Amino acid sequence: MAGILFSPDWICCSAEPNMPIDFYYIPGSAPCRAVLLAAKAVGVELNLKLTDLMAGEHLKPEFIKLNPQHCVPTIDDNGFALWESRAICTYLANQYGGNESLYPKDPKKRAVVDSRLYFDQGTLYQRFAEYYYPVMFGGAPFDEAKLKKLEEAYEYLDKFLDGQDWAAGSEMTLADISLASSVSTAEVNINRLEFRTRFSNKYIAGCWFRSVQIRKCHQLAEKVQEHSAWLR
Amino acid sequence: MGCRGSKVPEKIVLYYDKRSAPCRTVLLTAASLNIKVELKEINIQKGEHMTPEFLKINPQHCIPTMQDGDFTLWESRAIAQYLVNQYASNDSLYPREPKRRALVDARLNFDQGCLYQRLLNFYFKLFSEKVKDDELIKKFLEAIELLNTFLEGKLWAAGDTMTIADFALAASVSTAECFDFVDLDKYPHVNKWLARCKGNMKGYEEANQDGINALKETIANFK
Repeated sequence: MAGILFSPDWICCSAEPNMPIDFYYIPGSAPCRAVLLAAKAVGVELNLKLTDLMAGEHLKPEFIKLNPQHCVPTIDDNGFALWESRAICTYLANQYGGNESLYPKDPKKRAVVDSRLYFDQGTLYQRFAEYYYPVMFGGAPFDEAKLKKLEEAYEYLDKFLDGQDWAAGSEMTLADISLASSVSTAEVNINRLEFRTRFSNKYIAGCWFRSVQIRKCHQLAEKVQEHSAWLR
Repeated sequence: MGCRGSKVPEKIVLYYDKRSAPCRTVLLTAASLNIKVELKEINIQKGEHMTPEFLKINPQHCIPTMQDGDFTLWESRAIAQYLVNQYASNDSLYPREPKRRALVDARLNFDQGCLYQRLLNFYFKLFSEKVKDDELIKKFLEAIELLNTFLEGKLWAAGDTMTIADFALAASVSTAECFDFVDLDKYPHVNKWLARCKGNMKGYEEANQDGINALKETIANFK
């Protein structure tokens, strides 16, 4: 592999992978879209392998051999298998990222990005899933109490964004990518006018998301729209 | 990045509840790094997390929350990552090499998103509705089964050395000891690995076992 740089603190490889990285995904999944966005931001090519969960493609023996947890997103980087979207995002940045601001090396700055990634997984996206999955997959009615919990998560995100442009500081990071994927999924899936009124317009988080779309990251926005459109 | 081997701080402040698995993850990490911790108990049931003082420190009012000088951080696994990145003199607890690091990150996410989440799901129902939900318990045991698969032929959860992933998973899995309806004997790799953690993790008794014992007491009291 060409171009491996050694620094006293950090071993990083800024070269391209030998071959495009195999990426097992479905476009409707927010965690999958986060990886698409991260790969785009890092400049790494993904070999897209649509994995139709409804058709049980994730339960094929070859896929289970690659990933016994048989979930998406999963990558296979020339023999290195990895799942969990946020671990994939940080891996891509650590292994191939030249742009340090996406996932800073400074421990304190990195810690804030990590903290927001866990907030996304454990709180924001978690509460969206708890609210929406029973309806989408189980035919259950919407539960107002669960919507209130999701709204609370938006309130937290709002507080994190107060006085700064991005979720983890003054520059866009993997945290914004992961959170934007979650927020865009909630916005697209929950088609109730009330939700849009309560969430999109009310919170700074709505502005942040629109600024992601409008201001800095056209590629980011395009990818989000492209894949969100699949759901409509 | 990381493993600056900066001089360990005089102390860090930790807002915590020893019964909480994520809090114990941080305690295990600090113990391994010989970082002194000033403990500040926050009792969520008594609403101590909602005081104006604590809300100022952490608007998400969750525990564990750490203060290292004027740097405040929450989310247990991010705290563990930070402490190693900032203060460890070598990288064994959280390797710098990207692929090895990625495996630790993946297991930390598995802990938060799958294993610990499912434990929370059945525990919350037990605590708030006094209902033992067999479906939720089954989902938790499925997560343990997955961990059992990950651990086959391995000493540690995320590579050849003990890492912060083991701290997080040990804190979560050991919490299952509080419930007599969870039988870990059926998962031999998990059982051996947990025993290995107990025998090798620095300060395990104080950092983890004390909290498990306190949680057992709490559970006994609300039956």
